[in-house]
Amino acid sequence: MPVLKGKELRIVGFLCNWCSYGGADTAGVGRFNQPTDLRIIRVPCSGRIDPLFVVKALMNGADGVLVSGCHPRDCHYAEGNFYARRRLEIMQRFLPVLGYEAERFEYTWVSASEGQRWQQVVASFTDQIHKLGPAPKIIGPQAADTLNQMAAAL
Amino acid sequence: MKFQEELKDSIRKALPDLDVVLGWCGSFDPLHATPHFIRREEDIDKLEISPLSVHNLATYLPGLRGKKVGIVVKGCDSRSVVELLQENLINREDITIFGFPCTGVVDQAKIKKALGHAGNVRTCDISDSAIVIQTEDKAHSLTLTQMLADKCRTCRYPDAIISDYFVGDKIGEPAPLETDYAALEAFESLSVPERFGYWLKELDRCIRCYACRSACPLCVCRDHCAAESRDPHWLSQENNVRDKVMFQVIHAYHMAGRCTECGECQRACPVDIPVLMLKQKMNREIRDIFQYEAGVDPEATPPLLSFNMEEENITEKEW
Amino acid sequence: MELVKYLKSADLKSWLQELARENRVFAPRNEGDSVIFAPFDPEQEIAIVHPATLPPKKTVFPQSEKLVDFTYSKDPENLSRIMIDGKEVLPEGTAVVFGGRPCDVRGFTMFDRVYLAEKSTDIYYQARRENTTFITLACEKPETTCFCHWVDSGPTDATGSDVLATVVDGGYVLEALSDKGSKLLTSTLLENGESRKDEARKAHEKAAELLQDAPDLSGAPKKVLQVFDTMEFWEEAAAKCLSCGACAYLCPSCYCFNITDETIGMKGTRIRSWDNCMSAQFTMEASGHNPRPTKAHRLRNRVGHKFSYYPDIHDGVISCCGCGRCIKSCPVGTDIREIVLQAIEYEPAVGEEQADEQ
Repeated sequence: MPVLKGKELRIVGFLCNWCSYGGADTAGVGRFNQPTDLRIIRVPCSGRIDPLFVVKALMNGADGVLVSGCHPRDCHYAEGNFYARRRLEIMQRFLPVLGYEAERFEYTWVSASEGQRWQQVVASFTDQIHKLGPAPKIIGPQAADTLNQMAAAL
Repeated sequence: MKFQEELKDSIRKALPDLDVVLGWCGSFDPLHATPHFIRREEDIDKLEISPLSVHNLATYLPGLRGKKVGIVVKGCDSRSVVELLQENLINREDITIFGFPCTGVVDQAKIKKALGHAGNVRTCDISDSAIVIQTEDKAHSLTLTQMLADKCRTCRYPDAIISDYFVGDKIGEPAPLETDYAALEAFESLSVPERFGYWLKELDRCIRCYACRSACPLCVCRDHCAAESRDPHWLSQENNVRDKVMFQVIHAYHMAGRCTECGECQRACPVDIPVLMLKQKMNREIRDIFQYEAGVDPEATPPLLSFNMEEENITEKEW
Repeated sequence: MELVKYLKSADLKSWLQELARENRVFAPRNEGDSVIFAPFDPEQEIAIVHPATLPPKKTVFPQSEKLVDFTYSKDPENLSRIMIDGKEVLPEGTAVVFGGRPCDVRGFTMFDRVYLAEKSTDIYYQARRENTTFITLACEKPETTCFCHWVDSGPTDATGSDVLATVVDGGYVLEALSDKGSKLLTSTLLENGESRKDEARKAHEKAAELLQDAPDLSGAPKKVLQVFDTMEFWEEAAAKCLSCGACAYLCPSCYCFNITDETIGMKGTRIRSWDNCMSAQFTMEASGHNPRPTKAHRLRNRVGHKFSYYPDIHDGVISCCGCGRCIKSCPVGTDIREIVLQAIEYEPAVGEEQADEQ
């Protein structure tokens, strides 16, 4: 797959230690080409992810957030990802009310052996974020700082 | 109110076995009521139930744990009580619930807007259909239904869901004056930058007093709130609009599947920031995915405390 | 030297615009359903008919302000050695605050006794205080929550202000009360106001007539202190209190703050931000012990500080200017007037007094 042209965007990935982080590793070991916008943060389980991490990341400058865990029924802790699925789903549906497109955030499942799938997920998510462009950013402490800039951009 | 005397009689009967009964009484001006803590027989006479009884008294229950508490509830307030019971935050046997058929409470912000200024109210007479307010220079006659809080205009639970004493005749299921979430849907139809800018503009004037949190009956962390925690450091102490928005997101998310939309957060805000909409959005999504409504069944499990192996209404992304 | 000018209502914005050339000008304006002080914007209406929702406290005592900018750096020779380089950030420039009420501005005099004390002067506060000029608007009539005349003030009390503006027919009479104030009144938009002085005085008299009788609070410092240990009193007074910080943050005379370091990576700022004694964290000690564990303890401090401890060390001045915002904007209608009066009238139950003495 071609390296994305133009400016890199910032994508934060939260990956569970047992499956998806291993999957990303497998993709690396297999030398699968991947876009480099994604920055990975390893967490013990997708159930560890407070959906507020997603908002915190977006509000502090991320353009997209990806969460990846073990496939359902395959969680290292048996049910972490089942809880995660519910939490993340409502957060994804909540985002638009804040003024972020729901597509800026996705959650998915990648196992440690799925290097190929990991490559595909990263590539298509990065593509999705590039289609949306940079996320709205909060600049400066006062609302006016951001609002004036937004008005000027129009 | 017609049943007020009957209610006082019930409280009089129950009071000897209780440490305190929570109700409402008159406040600093005729337009306001204030929470009333009935400890002694003579306090009962001050009790007043009216469309000014806006406060959700369930907020006090977790703080009174260990005491025998009576509480007068509107239908919406009783949902907060149910939710607190559901989460084992209060003991059913310690609580005596007094219900009454609620016909709605006012939104002080709407009245303030209608009067132009509410700082000089001399008298306030409320009938079944109108509120007549005398300010120093003018008599204002307002239509009661127009002054009702939004939650009352869409109310489906006017009678307390659970109660030990119920005075007056139950209303049953009323015809709402408005459809649920109409304002939310209008907001959602705005463009992305408009929605993003809206919260910045509205929350810019937030003074971080956290009245929204303190007034919330389900914000039970009280003295251990994430807002002031240094570790984890969710929020900085700076006067920064980002932190102000983030706090509202934290509040809304911590209420997910628990919020009964009593609206205390918004009512308590000293600078009138419309923060309830964030919780409504969360609630509507939860209703759509899980067909769940908080605070109606003390036995129910909140949706985020359980799961199904196969989720019927969650469609995951195909890559 | 007494300088009195007259400004036509129609010229108000032009005048503020003139002042804005050399100063940051703050004026009250509508934001949502509230009125707050914001940088003056000629495009927006000035909302001065009624007292603002928030006082102009932040103009001199910002909700948060930078004290120090700092950077960490590592010694390349010895990576475990971390050095810190800090730079003090002092407020700069001058400001004019238009449209505060007498109570709002008098609040700063409560700050002054603490932050401008001889022994320890707060340089950040001092810089802003000295460079801010207050054009205060005399009140015409009290609201139901107003009680400035209970606390030795009144609707036209100009203590702490530099210019007193009084609404008269067609405009404002502006009286300079300090050198800073006189310097502001040099615009050609202003007419000589000598002939209008009587009109202003009449307006002041009228405002004074509208006040109802005030109770005598001279005994408050002693009485409030007397109930200090009567927790039952405070538990009842605080029963409905939610322990939020609205009262303190809306209060023109509440001056408490917190200092924190907000760091990102190797850079950070030491900031000072508003804090309030109704917050559980306010007195939380590092050990985890909290000497004010309940809202009753906290409300006791708030009332006690204003009506007893402060007057005790500052010549009997009550640290409350009677603006009534804490009553009007309290989510549950906690009324500080009521609590103080109850404390004054409080009679210990028989036997309790003796127990106290032991």
